[in-house]
Amino acid sequence: MHLPDGFLAPQLALALWALTAVIVGVALRRLAASREAGGATGRPILMGLVGAFIFAAQMFNFPVATGTSGHLLGGVLAGYLLGPWAGTIVMTTVIGVQALLFQDGGLLALGANIFNMGIIGTLGGTLIARALALALGGGRGARIAAAGIAGWLSVMAGAGITALQLGLSGTTDISVGLPAMLGVHVFIGVGEALITVAALTFIATTAPDLLGAEPVTHTSLARRVGAGAGATAIVISLATLFASTDPDGLNSVAQALGFTHVEAGAPFNLFAGYAIPGLDGAASTIIAALIGAAVIVGLILLLSRVAASRKGDA
Amino acid sequence: MSRAVPGGRDARAAVITALLVILAIALLPMGAYVAILLSWFVVITAGAYVGISPLRLARRGAIALPFLLAAVPVIFLRTDELLWSGTVGPLSFSISGAGLRIALTAVLKAWVSVQASIVLITYVDAPTIVTALRRMRLPDAIATSAGLTIRYLELLRDEAKRMLRARTARSASPVGVGRERIGGSIGWRARTTGNLVGSLFLRAYARAQRIEEAATSRGATGSLSVGTMPAADPRLAMKVIGVFLLALFLTLSGALLPRL
Repeated sequence: MHLPDGFLAPQLALALWALTAVIVGVALRRLAASREAGGATGRPILMGLVGAFIFAAQMFNFPVATGTSGHLLGGVLAGYLLGPWAGTIVMTTVIGVQALLFQDGGLLALGANIFNMGIIGTLGGTLIARALALALGGGRGARIAAAGIAGWLSVMAGAGITALQLGLSGTTDISVGLPAMLGVHVFIGVGEALITVAALTFIATTAPDLLGAEPVTHTSLARRVGAGAGATAIVISLATLFASTDPDGLNSVAQALGFTHVEAGAPFNLFAGYAIPGLDGAASTIIAALIGAAVIVGLILLLSRVAASRKGDA
Repeated sequence: MSRAVPGGRDARAAVITALLVILAIALLPMGAYVAILLSWFVVITAGAYVGISPLRLARRGAIALPFLLAAVPVIFLRTDELLWSGTVGPLSFSISGAGLRIALTAVLKAWVSVQASIVLITYVDAPTIVTALRRMRLPDAIATSAGLTIRYLELLRDEAKRMLRARTARSASPVGVGRERIGGSIGWRARTTGNLVGSLFLRAYARAQRIEEAATSRGATGSLSVGTMPAADPRLAMKVIGVFLLALFLTLSGALLPRL
């Protein structure tokens, strides 16, 4: 998944460098704050050794089928063992050393590679693992299972985003590159998930105190809402950009059988055709979709509040 | 004989050169094969200076070629500048000249850029590059972590090799013919591999603790940045200006030289 130089458009490569620098900067600040507070996971020597461990652990593989082997990338494992911020710094280091020492990934593409594997794979993967662990009850088994699921997701997300970057750079066609990358990485992700689960189970059995270094914590409501809103906005924007313009199943059948003219007009038009009146293009659809999502979330929150007040009255 | 920068020298000019040359190559437009060839001559000249022959450099640059697979579909999916279209068995497809240009340009750029990185790592060893990056304001946590990763990399890889040899001896090897040679089910193999990874982490953790104790007892503060910075290169500004002009020349060659 390490992109070499020359495959990404320079503008995209430089933009991803800038984005990566900002997020790594945030990780460094969080790490410094954790260290000042006496945190155990931001220790530089431990981080350096874990970086070397990730390198060495990537040598371990196991046969899945003829000619295919499962192996470890290690993003979620590093994030789980050191915490998301320290794990991100470790993976940033590992990917940088891979590019400098082994020419595995380009120098101009280094920002993209760190973004795809270090930030999406490690930071994103670990935060998802924590959220899943909370949802599953927060026990030891839940945390390890969540790490496995997040490990698989992190590989798939990294592969998908790499394919999108190649598509946006004009190197490949997204409609072919995306399914191809995801198809291959489905199996690589399974290897990642199985090894992550087995490694964490081994560590939890042999040295349970190490997994307690970064406990699962409850984040504030404002942060959860903010993170949810951000994720929704990204998904909606991407889905809108790559959405098919072909008619849906019913419309397609209606056109084929010639009964589209029977359709009665709507009594009112707010965002007809998922577009803002007076605004054209993808931006119009994205804004309409965001407003729609906000209305749905607002309704759910309102109904939740009504239900809570009714429960209090009863 | 290679001409590596001796340890303790300021290698910022070398790092900046590699980055600017790679950026100039990335900025070359589609189909600028003559400009790519010119860039390759610049890279192999630098390679010859540090002691790598062009053929060896070209061979080592081939590690970028597997990514050709990512670029191949565009040859068949573009519908402009059709060079050929027809059917092979039940499949009908076409070859696009524009797609071929995109794929070939991307692969050649990747190939030359990898060679530029190889020249850099041959000229300057990895710890010196980390020191140069630190001087270029690379955050201390990353510099220290990278320095230690490089220092302990071989040690932990040797440890991993010993563990893999032991696994092979106990029949969970990924190589071998027949089910008996490769152990039990996929789940069993994955668990065995995961156990090895967990075990390796515990060994790395224990070693980190020992190093931390030793370093703390000697008054270390957890950073490798104290007292190890080499003297600054007095001609750095001149070198950077020269490299900038070279990168500009390569970029302009992409705009001015004929494209195919």
